[in-house]
Amino acid sequence: MPELLPSLSGSVTTIAVRDAREQLRDRFLFWATLALIAAATVSLVTGAIALHGDAATYAAARAQLLALGKDASAIAAPEFYPLKLMRGMIEQIEIMGAVIALVAGYRAAAAERGRQTLALILTRPMPHWAYTLAKIIGGLGLAAVSLAVVFLATAILLPIVSGIWLTMGDVGRLVLTWAAGVLYLSALFTLGFGLSLWAKSPASGLIYAFALWILVVLVSPQIGDTMDPDNQVAGGVFAQLSIPKVEQDRIKAGFAGYESFRNGIEVASVTKHFERFTFAVLGIKDTYTGAALTKVWAEKQGDLLFLFLFSLGLGGLVLLRPINPDRLTKES
Amino acid sequence: MTPARLIARQSLAGLARDRSVLILIAFFAAMVLVTAWLGWSATNTVNAIYADAATYLSASGLPVPPNPVSQSAPLAVLRNLGVYISLIGAFGSIVIGQLLIETDRRAGTLPLIGARPFERRDLALGKMRALVTATGAMMAVAGVISVTTLLTIPSLVVGPGDLLRLALFLVAGWAYVTIFGFLALGAAARMPVTASGLIAATVVWLVVTFVLPELTANVHPTAAINPVSTLANTPDSAFFHLTSRVLGPLSLAEGFAWLSGDLLSFLPDGLAPRGTIPPAVTLPAALILAGLFAARSASKLDLNAGGPDA
Repeated sequence: MPELLPSLSGSVTTIAVRDAREQLRDRFLFWATLALIAAATVSLVTGAIALHGDAATYAAARAQLLALGKDASAIAAPEFYPLKLMRGMIEQIEIMGAVIALVAGYRAAAAERGRQTLALILTRPMPHWAYTLAKIIGGLGLAAVSLAVVFLATAILLPIVSGIWLTMGDVGRLVLTWAAGVLYLSALFTLGFGLSLWAKSPASGLIYAFALWILVVLVSPQIGDTMDPDNQVAGGVFAQLSIPKVEQDRIKAGFAGYESFRNGIEVASVTKHFERFTFAVLGIKDTYTGAALTKVWAEKQGDLLFLFLFSLGLGGLVLLRPINPDRLTKES
Repeated sequence: MTPARLIARQSLAGLARDRSVLILIAFFAAMVLVTAWLGWSATNTVNAIYADAATYLSASGLPVPPNPVSQSAPLAVLRNLGVYISLIGAFGSIVIGQLLIETDRRAGTLPLIGARPFERRDLALGKMRALVTATGAMMAVAGVISVTTLLTIPSLVVGPGDLLRLALFLVAGWAYVTIFGFLALGAAARMPVTASGLIAATVVWLVVTFVLPELTANVHPTAAINPVSTLANTPDSAFFHLTSRVLGPLSLAEGFAWLSGDLLSFLPDGLAPRGTIPPAVTLPAALILAGLFAARSASKLDLNAGGPDA
């Protein structure tokens, strides 16, 4: 048994490295990364332009008030935090990044089934779980490299569009967000891989994976978002009724049951946990803007833990489920 | 029976046997069923909040503004339906479009079909006819469930005018999802590698749904799938005025969302569609273009390319 372990780790490494080489050779990694960079750039640039528009509107309104001899403090100045511009980018990772991860997982399974190499690999003296582990490690590496390039591009682009240099603290927040992103995309890669490996044909597996993606990534958070009373009225119901914050909290307390149900639907989605954690770390959510990382960590580690356990559970399920020898080819 | 009709019947029979299609349609039907409840529940909550807020404002001697949702038309409770059509319906249509070509290709029956005395045009028309029928059936399911749920909510009074608007909305929804089905069908015909058509059409759908709204109006991806948040004004800047005018007609998801708001009566007052061409024109135009793409691709389909081992 002890002598089997080095041989196993060697096989796992070989398969993982071979997968990475294949993804590099057929340029999937290149195009996937480019698509994410393009989506992130669109989000950052449009966000920055919209913010500049808000700043210009504020400056004009302030000048008008001062010209009339009135107090300019009556209107709130727009606050500017460069990392807040990443909201659209994070949402693009949630949605487009998830699709790319599912397709990568599908490709990892379809490539072996299509070329009949899966049957060949399984004739070697290695357990099935070692093969799937190698594939998951390959997917994790793919997500790590692809997201690292996207975050690097973001770190370069942010000071350009915002005009403010990032601090070391900001870089630390970016690294933490990258790590959560790698975990999230690895989980979706595993889902796409597992379903494409188990389904009657890999294409059916991809269809099931996409259907689950719609349910978990889009529909579940969408229901929660739609049920939020503040999203039922353009601009927010409380803002439109001009209700002060204290009174808002009192009224909301009367709808605790409804709010718990709404929140329950949202947190059933792994995407929402990824979003809540990263929005807090980057200060996108107003209550965490400018907050110390220690405070964010204390309050949001549960979301990261859910993300970790979800990835671990999904990985464990894929590792432990035996590969059906009758479904080794592309079409069974 | 014409050859095109025969091919359509055979294709529809194949779709009806496919478990993934049946699961997607069941998922779609379930979400349509939930839609009315979601709208009703959220509206009731806002009404209750308003009542509470009005009491506070009156007690404080402050003016009480009108209830922002009290004027809602009964159809507004179905506001989530447009979102589910643009998400699950469009994806279901993509899967159907891809399977219409892929199933025959993987089963190795395309060369056999080619050996029969059919014109390629008949094959293309038959496949497109099957797609149009399948997406039409999806919308019919949505229509039956919507009308049933509308009639079961006691506080709603639905008139013939409302039902006509709902029917028009479902026609718009059918056109919207069929566009993506045609794209998937055409892409699958042009790309023989397994699932390429599915992936290509999904990429186009992702760009239309989540990237174009950011460019035209800074609508973030999660706001893009909220029926109210997506109906935002174009930000007042030269950049967004330009992109909105240029890309607005291509931003089909926003066009469909605007039409949904207009037909289901929850469009904010005075909100204009993006761009200078109204969605009532861009949507049919996109449907025709996608149909031409599908027809051309399917009529040039290489019946010997691909196959079970491709």
